[in-house]
Amino acid sequence: VSQPMVKCCPQPRIPHAEGLRGYSSTAAQVEPAMPSSADEGVKLSASCVKRLKEIMEKGDYLRIHVEGGGCSGFQYKFSVDQNRDEDDRVFEQDGVGVIVDQDSLEFVKGSTLDYTNELIRAAFQMQKNPQADHGCSCGSSFSVKL
Amino acid sequence: VSKRRILPTRAALTLTPAAVNQVRMLLQDKPEYIGLKVGVRTRGCNGLTYTLDYTKEKNQADEEVLQDGVRVFIEKKAQLTLLGTEMDFVDSKLSTEFVFNNPNIKGTCGCGESFSI
Repeated sequence: VSQPMVKCCPQPRIPHAEGLRGYSSTAAQVEPAMPSSADEGVKLSASCVKRLKEIMEKGDYLRIHVEGGGCSGFQYKFSVDQNRDEDDRVFEQDGVGVIVDQDSLEFVKGSTLDYTNELIRAAFQMQKNPQADHGCSCGSSFSVKL
Repeated sequence: VSKRRILPTRAALTLTPAAVNQVRMLLQDKPEYIGLKVGVRTRGCNGLTYTLDYTKEKNQADEEVLQDGVRVFIEKKAQLTLLGTEMDFVDSKLSTEFVFNNPNIKGTCGCGESFSI
């Protein structure tokens, strides 16, 4: 029973498998370059850059930190920091920078930091976070997409 | 029977000096507005949130608070909610905002924007 199977099967399969392999190897070369440049960092909006230039002295960075809490599970914390730790990543734009530690970066990569200016409140806010499912109305808390 | 008038013994809303300064600063180059209007809106995870807008006129039902030369109006809907509230203005590097210290509330959201009474 097994002999006819062996005889007929390898013939059509080999070219098919080669075609797949050739296709997947080119795809694998292209893919890793894309997310590292576009989606793994934190972008800064124009208003955010403007505000950071106003408030930051030389050597100051805005630290974005994600911690458990808030009404949706996780919340963003902002602070001014001069020290950079080993696992920190820095994202700079137009001479101002934000630091994000590696653990927090997992939750915020691809999102945009904005400085919203309204009558009642002006504050930093994370926007368009691809990891966040839905957030609190104020934008400080969010839940993670599963 | 004479109609008794009930006069408020104290303002429905008090402003801290920082809030007064900020309101004054906001209004100084906008002569078309007579003051700010505070309201509440159903929003957020805890039920209600404060709103703040410029206003050009006083509505009949609005409660007017005049303090140190600045005028703040309270929407009819928000008057009971806000009674006794202190309006403060907090200015820090990372955020500048009006904060409402409201004695009537039962709970707030983590960020303080949303509250319930």
